[in-house]
Amino acid sequence: MNGAGKSGASARPRFAFAVAPLLLLAVLAALPAFSLGPNTVRLLFVTLVWVTISIAWNILGGFGGQVSFGFAVFYGLGAYTAALSVNSGVNSILSLLLAASVAVLASMLVGLPTFRLRGPYFAIATIGVSEAVRVVMTNVSMTGGASGYRIIETRPFHQLEHFYAALALAVVAVAVSMQVRHSKFGLALIAIREDEEAASDLGVNPYRTKLLAHALAAALTGAAGGVFAQYAAFIHPQGVFAFGIGVAILLMPIIGGIGTVWGPVIGAVVYGLIQEELIASFPQLHLLIYGSLLILIVLFEPAGIVGIARQIVPRLRARMEG
Amino acid sequence: MSAVDLLNLLIAALLQAGVYAAMSVGMTIIYGVMKIVNLAHAGFLMLGAYFVYELYARFHIDPLLGVLLAFPVFFLIGMSVHWVLVRRIPTSDQPTLTSLLLLFGLWLVLQNLGYVVWGNSDRAILTPRTLDVLQIGPISFPTVRLVVFGAALTSLGSLEFVLHKTWFGRAVRALMQNSDAGRIVGVNVERTARVAFGVGIAFAGAAGGLLAMIYSFSPDFGGPFLLRSFVVIVMGGLESFAGVAVGSVILAVVETFCILVLPANYQPAIAFSLLVLALIVLPEGVAGLWNKRRRWA
Repeated sequence: MNGAGKSGASARPRFAFAVAPLLLLAVLAALPAFSLGPNTVRLLFVTLVWVTISIAWNILGGFGGQVSFGFAVFYGLGAYTAALSVNSGVNSILSLLLAASVAVLASMLVGLPTFRLRGPYFAIATIGVSEAVRVVMTNVSMTGGASGYRIIETRPFHQLEHFYAALALAVVAVAVSMQVRHSKFGLALIAIREDEEAASDLGVNPYRTKLLAHALAAALTGAAGGVFAQYAAFIHPQGVFAFGIGVAILLMPIIGGIGTVWGPVIGAVVYGLIQEELIASFPQLHLLIYGSLLILIVLFEPAGIVGIARQIVPRLRARMEG
Repeated sequence: MSAVDLLNLLIAALLQAGVYAAMSVGMTIIYGVMKIVNLAHAGFLMLGAYFVYELYARFHIDPLLGVLLAFPVFFLIGMSVHWVLVRRIPTSDQPTLTSLLLLFGLWLVLQNLGYVVWGNSDRAILTPRTLDVLQIGPISFPTVRLVVFGAALTSLGSLEFVLHKTWFGRAVRALMQNSDAGRIVGVNVERTARVAFGVGIAFAGAAGGLLAMIYSFSPDFGGPFLLRSFVVIVMGGLESFAGVAVGSVILAVVETFCILVLPANYQPAIAFSLLVLALIVLPEGVAGLWNKRRRWA
């Protein structure tokens, strides 16, 4: 796909690509040593949750080419499931698994009827499901309806615990994404993105492949929602199911570069860090800015930051060498 | 429930269906010609509502006249949007990732421009007509709904005329049926697409104006109606104008009668359930039914 491997000069960057993530991981894991303020840790925590979800969206949207506007549903359902199960005494890791399973079930609800059909049905249904679930959750009395739901905490709050949970989940997500990218399953997804009919002629089952990718993405997103709920301890439908969450989830991988392993990670980090500033300085305008950004990326640099880097890096290297 | 109540509900549903049809037909045109799902539809519905509102509030122009004015204005807006944005993305016989994302981005921009300009408070258009009721025997018609229904039917009738009696209309129908064949017989695809996009947006704007005569609105206004438009066009088979009519009636009847058993705030959930049901039972929409019949005959 890219021409990175064709010259000998690329051996060093490739090594860097392998080492940089590990280095980053080591730095993040050693975080307590830096004695950061709680606000910085919170920012890192939130960014790691975003990283997970961004990677999840990319598995279906980036590799498989299936645009979903409904990932907030998985995030929100995961958050609610985790909150409900923690409150009924389930331990926190099991509650994350439950969150992931509920999200998988929800993914089937949308995927089963739509993936069989050719056409825009999947994208349309994902918009529908997020509207519908938000309305239902706003009115369901068991979870407090619009006024939200609280986790009753029985243990003292340790911010770093939650941080490590988010870090672990993000590492899992990256590993899954890398595994998918280099597996037969990932190749099948990419083949579907490029030409569904041709893929199907070559023996790929588009229906099953898309369904599986959707379920995998939903599981990661649901678990991320669960991690967030356990941290926040209070969730409400206009928060976790918000339209803005759905927008963010799709924007992050697109900023970074869809269809790549690291693009969504970069996108999520960029988004997580600028989001704070943007919301603080332009509470009304941030969605306007995101919309314009989306249009500009789609028209001018569909490969996102990774695409820009792929254009600039060889040019810089040529200048340095020549 | 008495027979009169039932009749009242049925009439209410039919009047609603007229609005739904006018609201969804713009999406069908755009999808049919370009295979683009116009996610920005909601944004243009909202702009149409505010357009009619501003004309009424500032210049005391009757909302009905406002709706009429919305057609040319939004037609031009639609053509410019096509010229500036839509024509730059690759065409395909399938809705592409690019087109979905582009129009979604446009929706975000429009919606939040709405917030910047009009703030987030709800507005409504109140004319002397708004609360009037026409009583015929035991059956009552809210006047404003009758007017809106009439306007919706008139605009749909004009569209039907244009599609069947003009060169542009024939070109649109040719591209919807088979774009390659249309190209071969000399349809200028780019120009037809531009005009079709204009017409689609014109209908979105005008329908927004019609909706504004019935409901209160805010910049967030289009979302629930976008979902309803989806349901209507999916049930109609995406590219069929007759399908839009049938889909609108089904949606309106189901929504109206569900109020009897479900609280009104579950309405988006009803629309979504209908969407899923339609995809399972009738994946080609109602248009698929009569196409199949034709094939058998």
